[in-house]
Amino acid sequence: MKTWATVLLLAALAGCASTSIEQVDGERALDDSLVVRVDSAWNKMNLPGSKEPYETWTQEGLTLDHLRFWSGVPSGQAIAQPASAPAGGVAPRVPTFVSGMSPEQLVQLFEVLYASDGSLVTMGRVAPARFAGGDGLRFEFDWVRKEDDVQLKGVGWLAVRQGKLYAATFAAPRLHFFGRLYPQAQAVIDTATVRP
Amino acid sequence: MDADQHDGQPLNRRAWLRSGCAQCLALAAWVSQPAAAQTAEPLPGRFAKPAPDTDEGGIWALMDREETRLRRSPFVVRDDKLRAYLNNMVCRLGGEHCADVRVHVVRTPLFNATMAPNGMMQIWSGLLLRVENEAQLAAVVSHELAHYLERHALEQLQDAKSRSAFAQFIGVFGAVGALAQLGLLAGAFAFSREQESRADRLGVRLMQRASYDPTEAAKVWDNLLGELKVTGGEEAGQRSPMFATHPAVANRRDTLAELAGAGGGDRSNEGLRAVLAPHRNHWLQDEVKRGQYEESLVLFNRLLQQRAEAALLFSRGEVYRLRAGADDVPRALQDLQSAAAMPDAPHEVHRSLALLHRQREDRAAAVQAFERYLQLAPGASDAPLIERYLSELKS
Repeated sequence: MKTWATVLLLAALAGCASTSIEQVDGERALDDSLVVRVDSAWNKMNLPGSKEPYETWTQEGLTLDHLRFWSGVPSGQAIAQPASAPAGGVAPRVPTFVSGMSPEQLVQLFEVLYASDGSLVTMGRVAPARFAGGDGLRFEFDWVRKEDDVQLKGVGWLAVRQGKLYAATFAAPRLHFFGRLYPQAQAVIDTATVRP
Repeated sequence: MDADQHDGQPLNRRAWLRSGCAQCLALAAWVSQPAAAQTAEPLPGRFAKPAPDTDEGGIWALMDREETRLRRSPFVVRDDKLRAYLNNMVCRLGGEHCADVRVHVVRTPLFNATMAPNGMMQIWSGLLLRVENEAQLAAVVSHELAHYLERHALEQLQDAKSRSAFAQFIGVFGAVGALAQLGLLAGAFAFSREQESRADRLGVRLMQRASYDPTEAAKVWDNLLGELKVTGGEEAGQRSPMFATHPAVANRRDTLAELAGAGGGDRSNEGLRAVLAPHRNHWLQDEVKRGQYEESLVLFNRLLQQRAEAALLFSRGEVYRLRAGADDVPRALQDLQSAAAMPDAPHEVHRSLALLHRQREDRAAAVQAFERYLQLAPGASDAPLIERYLSELKS
């Protein structure tokens, strides 16, 4: 029992020790490409061991809200961390951006991303919108998160510039938090531009 | 009790399929007893609720709290007809114990069923989508009932190692509120290979007593193996990273087939099909949204061999369309056109057809299909995007 406890404690401490939170403000370039301006309090989360191909910000903590950015995803690259292949097998699919995808195929990538853990995702309004300094798409979704049964509402924005995908998603619990935090997420998105 | 496991990250597809195999049904060493002798053995009588100050009482209380949470969960399917159907099956299999068992259907597109010692059974929609008839569902339910009837959770609790691991589990996960995840809880409290074998043995016996065809139990495994092989290759199901105590999937399938003998009995599917019909299209779309297109194709091909139906053809067509592989466009077109021609086609099939026609630069067909979609679903949430497509196509 002591061995188990020690292992678990060390694992927990190791996780805590390497997680870092960085306050973001002012003008911020994500991967030197997508640039946003931040006037409200957002925190960038640096998760231990994460190889996710997006940057994650939050206001109230990741269980309550997140604002994710994908900056210049090239064709053939996944929008989520690729899973490892089992011995003698092949890796499970992960949603992957391919240049030339139609708008609804791009939206589908994010639907699969959020549904991949068994969560229930229902896409809502999908409409043309400005994003990243030009034409893009805005989509809404309802998300019942599998890991804790929380019902969230989400919004996404995406655009393709010079064959690369630029996107962002914001999600927060439907009750109270989405309504309170969404305007601040939209304010950040409104400033998004792509550096030439 | 057994369950799917995940760690908050997107589930490894192979792991969840394999965990379903590994945890929900089992088989190993029960080959020697004649079937007639097994069937004649009486079942234990109903269990009294254990005293709260005992080990068993403690875990019952924990599971009661979990069940209270589950009843409020947005994932629970609230359908009186479906619940009544499943309760009837439990009564047919478990006799008087059905008064103590509650079945909850959970909308999650993964293969899984769990049984808690307090009588709470969970069946996930992904499992219900995969069974082909009532006997295959009865095979799963009877295995879960067998864990309950043999009180395997109590056995585990009485094992010192399990008890200490369980206590630590509660200490670690309870503190951050994840205790409510029965899957995690069950994972820390998994049954032994011997218990799984006993549950399979009793499960087949319950099927025989209830006049279900026990040969269908092995088919559940065989069907699952088909999906496992997509990512696991030909060796799929021989290894379990989570439970080294579990026999290989193919071995379990073979032993179950041997246990069932010549079989015979009920394997109808009309009743099951009728109660699942209101949910089927939603669950098929949940399956598509998993994004594991090759696994879904194995499933859809198998189900379409049983019966051609519009929702299935639409789902397979969607998988081809979304996968967009070398030969997928004509396949998608064929499935979607076949689905659209059927009287019970979901209206979304016209949207998918239109998108495919647009991709093929068949403007006239795309316009016609988009307009049909908007006609059938005037309030569609993606109408603004569709209107833009129509405007471009007509310009």
